[in-house]
Amino acid sequence: MQLKKRHMGPISRALSLLTANLLMANAAEAQVGAAINASGSARNYADGAVNGTDSSNDTSGQLNTVVVDSAVLFYQEKGGRVQAVEPTGSVVYTNSYGDAYSVKVTSDSLTGATPNGATPSSHPQTFTTPARGAGSTVTVTSASGGSTLVNLPGGLQVRQYTIAPNTLPVDNGFRDNRYALDLGYTRQLDSVSKWSIGGAYSQERDYTSFSVNTGYSRDVNHKNTTLSLSANFEYDRSRPFFGSPTPFAVMDGTQKGPNQTKTVISVVAGVTQVMNRRWLAQLNISAGQNSGYQNDPYRIISVVDPTFGAPLQYLYESRPRSRFRESIYWGNKVALGPTVADVSARAYHDSWGITSFTGEISERVPLVAGFYIEPSARYYHQSAANFFQYYLVSGTPLPSFASSDSRLSKFSATTFGVKAGLKILTDGELYVLGETYKQTGAAGPPNAIGDLANQNLFSGVKATSIVAGIRYTFR
Amino acid sequence: MTLEANTAVLTPVAEGLSYAFRAMGSPCEVRVETEDAALATQIGEIVEAEALRIERKFSRYRPDSALSRINSSSGTPLYVDAETTALLNYAAQCFDLSRGLFDVTSGVLRRVWHFDGSDQVPSREQVADLLPLIGWDKICWRAPEIVLPKGMEIDLGGVGKEYAVDSALIRAMAVSNVPILINFGGDLRVSGPRAGGQRWRIALESVDRSGYAEGSLHVSSGALTTSGDARRFLFKDGVRYSHILNPRTGWPIEHPPRSITVAAPTCMEAGVMSTLAMLHGKKAERFLKSEGLQAWCIRSRAARRPLSTRA
Repeated sequence: MQLKKRHMGPISRALSLLTANLLMANAAEAQVGAAINASGSARNYADGAVNGTDSSNDTSGQLNTVVVDSAVLFYQEKGGRVQAVEPTGSVVYTNSYGDAYSVKVTSDSLTGATPNGATPSSHPQTFTTPARGAGSTVTVTSASGGSTLVNLPGGLQVRQYTIAPNTLPVDNGFRDNRYALDLGYTRQLDSVSKWSIGGAYSQERDYTSFSVNTGYSRDVNHKNTTLSLSANFEYDRSRPFFGSPTPFAVMDGTQKGPNQTKTVISVVAGVTQVMNRRWLAQLNISAGQNSGYQNDPYRIISVVDPTFGAPLQYLYESRPRSRFRESIYWGNKVALGPTVADVSARAYHDSWGITSFTGEISERVPLVAGFYIEPSARYYHQSAANFFQYYLVSGTPLPSFASSDSRLSKFSATTFGVKAGLKILTDGELYVLGETYKQTGAAGPPNAIGDLANQNLFSGVKATSIVAGIRYTFR
Repeated sequence: MTLEANTAVLTPVAEGLSYAFRAMGSPCEVRVETEDAALATQIGEIVEAEALRIERKFSRYRPDSALSRINSSSGTPLYVDAETTALLNYAAQCFDLSRGLFDVTSGVLRRVWHFDGSDQVPSREQVADLLPLIGWDKICWRAPEIVLPKGMEIDLGGVGKEYAVDSALIRAMAVSNVPILINFGGDLRVSGPRAGGQRWRIALESVDRSGYAEGSLHVSSGALTTSGDARRFLFKDGVRYSHILNPRTGWPIEHPPRSITVAAPTCMEAGVMSTLAMLHGKKAERFLKSEGLQAWCIRSRAARRPLSTRA
């Protein structure tokens, strides 16, 4: 008798994945270019891709290997804004039981100008901020990044900079170095479950962040399904050299406030499912709570004249101390002939009133033996936070919260990128990734006052970045 | 055709050239759709070398094989290499998936069961004495370390030949794009359709009269394997004892089909599924149906009729 082909049963489905894995281990299989990069079970696929801190700390890899990856990121924003150079290096050791240990070191150096939050004006604007040398008894007057140090009566020293008419106000004094260390440990509890724990520390001149995370994942349904749960706790300390400004305090160069802290708790629950031989799908749901100081201590908001829109004074911004975030992520990895496509979507909402959607697609195309390119495109759209304002109007009551940070405004962003990778020797890969990123948003509110109707109040960025790296697996 | 050991023969066939050799106790063949004898020989040699490599490494009949080293370890912990680790992991997962039906430790039953067509059925006591030596779960396997209890034995016969077909095909496809069919003793896989999109024609052997074709199958991709008891059985007191032994009881499965042919993307999958289907005895067809596999079961003379089916 002949039996007709129908949907695959649980055993044949699991077996097809097992067999693909086994034959994949067969060195020559790689040359033939098997359809899907099934490396172990479903869990090795797709990162959380949710908010950085939400991503899982799973560091597992092939047994008995040491994987060394080092790369440099060059990032540049248009218009002389932020530039960054970020070298990173990581080492992941996986022993023969599947336990993995990882270390990652990152160093950043950022320079350039950042929007200070004030509106542009048809007149020059001068901003006075605290000076790093404040309190020094030595009288110094010098130009520094377009700013001038000024000694005020009473031994007080401030820094002043002036912005040309009809220009977005930016502070050129922006310069920072960041060092970060990430440690992770994943333990294979038995053939189907893993437990991971990790910690991270990062240090900037005015900001310190500590975090710890733990996660558990378990394969069920003949390894066709992976369930995971992870939690992250982060503690941040903001300590600008002049102290943290009181919300809505007038910017005059004399602020002294205490250092401020923030805690972040996030939880992610996920399911990864082998749909068939050529399709893996992942669903993650995450929730998080930020509590504490979330202002940008350098950012101000203009208070403008109710008739002409001219700036009258500059107040430090004020954001709520609590922010509850929730998001859902759906990712897919699909093998189409020799190519592998990643398609994902993410929806996000928080208690500040921001709702966002991200859609992303990338496709890895092998060109010749050992060489592939991977073009990608991403679209992002968000609604504005309910306390976002381009400016405050003099004579109206002060709201509880206000910020003119365009990252809190309604905007869209598109990213286009292409990655190229080349296999070297047997276990190494050289890769280069180039991306362009562009934010677009409204130039201002529809009923902008006076002069402000002629100004572009949107301070979104256009940036390009290049990552060049090398990855090598020692066996 | 009779072949001397280690003598390969290149002959023209309908599809192109056939390179035949002997390995793993079976006649092996590579069909290469080309008129280029040098290319067919090159591919044939690659396939033969891979078959012999796997045989040397995983045959339980060769005292110097990696498998024999494990089988003679009698309780001493051993470290095994990456390929052995991968195969043992595969065997372990098949054991789990089949809830113990697919068991590479069941080979010890051959000490009392000799399927030579005779009536030498072992006694209940003889079989019961062996049961403590069967069960993958009795092995301490923490890859890549294995501790095989004394008296137990691993036989990769259930996956080795299929693994060799898949692995050899991968190696052959790495050197050329010409259409290839690899057949190791009835376990076969094709590289894809023949030139011009034509399918490969595979003869399905009869269960009782060797050489008589039960029908033919046409395949354009994937693998076919056949499990059956055409020549391996015992017959006593009117009962036919199939050579498919249930590792849980040590006794032959009752009412298995005479032959099962399964189509799957790889030979390993087809092989494991056809063995598992056999182990389901009377319910073999139901099992294959629930697993959604394309398969051909032959149960009796009544079912013997020409089959011509797309695979």
